[in-house]
Amino acid sequence: MRREIPLGLLYSVTGTYGAIGRDALDGALLALEEINRDETRPISFKAVSKDPGGNIDSYHRMSEAMLREQGCRHVVGTITSIGRKEVIPIIEKYDALLWYILPYEGFEACENVIYTGAAPNQHILPLFAHLIPTYGNRVYLTGSNYIWGWETNRIARELVLATKGEILGERYLPLDDTDVERMITEVEQKRPDFILNNLIGTSSYAFLQAYHQLGLKDADFLPAKRPVVSCDLTECELADIGFEAAAGHLCSAVYFEDVDNPLNALFRTKVTEKFGADRPLSAFLVGGYAAIHMIAEAIAGAGTDEIEPVKQALFTKTFDTAQGPITIDAKTNHAALIPHLGRINDKGGFDIVLAAESPVPADPYLVDFDPQAFAEEVGRARTDGSSHLRLVK
Amino acid sequence: MTRFRTPNFRGRHAIILHRSSKGTGQLARQLERLGMTVEVCWPDFPAEGSSADVVFFDADNGFDGLFPWAQGEAPMPLIALLGSELPGRLEWALAQGIASHVVKPVQSSGVFSALVIAASNFDAAKTQQEQFEELQARLGRRPDVIRAVVNLMQLGLLDEDTAFSCLRSAAMDERITIEEFCSRLDADRLAQLIRHQSRDKWRVEE
Repeated sequence: MRREIPLGLLYSVTGTYGAIGRDALDGALLALEEINRDETRPISFKAVSKDPGGNIDSYHRMSEAMLREQGCRHVVGTITSIGRKEVIPIIEKYDALLWYILPYEGFEACENVIYTGAAPNQHILPLFAHLIPTYGNRVYLTGSNYIWGWETNRIARELVLATKGEILGERYLPLDDTDVERMITEVEQKRPDFILNNLIGTSSYAFLQAYHQLGLKDADFLPAKRPVVSCDLTECELADIGFEAAAGHLCSAVYFEDVDNPLNALFRTKVTEKFGADRPLSAFLVGGYAAIHMIAEAIAGAGTDEIEPVKQALFTKTFDTAQGPITIDAKTNHAALIPHLGRINDKGGFDIVLAAESPVPADPYLVDFDPQAFAEEVGRARTDGSSHLRLVK
Repeated sequence: MTRFRTPNFRGRHAIILHRSSKGTGQLARQLERLGMTVEVCWPDFPAEGSSADVVFFDADNGFDGLFPWAQGEAPMPLIALLGSELPGRLEWALAQGIASHVVKPVQSSGVFSALVIAASNFDAAKTQQEQFEELQARLGRRPDVIRAVVNLMQLGLLDEDTAFSCLRSAAMDERITIEEFCSRLDADRLAQLIRHQSRDKWRVEE
């Protein structure tokens, strides 16, 4: 007799960043169906899915209902750091486990959270280590007005200033605001070497569209010369931006659709069967899918869904996923991941430019980060073209 | 303005002066995540403990004589681990000169900010203490300044403001404080000042 485990799925599939939520949830549900169909597995999942709709006040109530009324011990979800921080106290109160799959700004290592998305040393550090020697260190910073943008831009500022570069401007928009004109005017005047985009959802789409218009007007603002770079933009949002407007810009991610490994090819087949051949794969789709499989295997290994034994089982395993092998570090609860750099092509995907040789352990508090060493690395890369990311194409 | 740098505690040593418990384990794990080394002990403060970079201590059960230094003179930031909020316990913790606190039960969030705040408060208090000592020393030499002003007024036939500004500019020329200048002022230097001052006066009047 298989044991049915209630599993919370808390993703905003509507609202400003709904595209990300839909990918994460679809990935999770795809894995969940697969597991439930497989009679040889000791457990099946009962999905308890709720949509906060991007409304921050709903996270608290919905997560508490999952834990208190539905008996969930594991919740996969939240997109933004505001959402995650809203849910963590509830998760701690019920001693449950939150599975968080998105890149975030770091400086957190909660005992009740498993982090399978990238920390700053896995997204912005490798990104800037490549960009500064390639494009220069006069940088413009943008972001949505909350902690993801603020903190990622603060790290960016520290990196740029360590290399004796210059921050030409730093501007924020409230979530959902698409009034990007002031930013564009400033970028046009100041001509930064590149622009860091920490805007999310519709604000980000509006900015990239307006920047595209600027590039049509003045070739000095084409992405080949002055790219817009992001740490959280994936395949699932390219259609919303428009393929033409998005093309040529750069992104850091732990997965791109074209990652070359057999499990990724298999994942493509599964997604095509379920959602059709034109559904792009993204780090969020693959991240949601991988997280559910990790939970299933860890619960099977532990023989219970109680979180302490599950965590212990989790820490001892290496999970082969479409994004490569994943291990979770018992010290930080974070995943070791392979940073990639991709350039958006005009077909709604990414061309992988660079990728790390092997998974990089997360350093959520940037303990091993040293601005001086970063400046030296960038200086060396500038003179001899070396990089700790391997050239893919 | 100096920019806020990512705080880094890599390689620092922490003492947790608290009965070993689930909470101290949680705290130690979080400190190790930050790249620190940790020692848990209670109630004896370790012999080499004074060289630690930070001390977390049990404010609920702490008592006078817990630390090997005079009250309020810790050589490193102290962080109180607070369970009880009884005024008497808070008073005792404050008297130790705490730089920040962490509420029990210890969770993984809150430790990093307590460390950052403690380091900042400790540095600010140290700077303030140094400034305070310097001002106190200057204050102690104030009679020397008064004596020098009076001498200059009487012997050089100057008014109070002129005498004072004469001393101040002479001290500035030598790049020392006016107090230090006045405490060193002997009869020869005083006569020299009066000669310079009267020459300047004549030049102006010519």
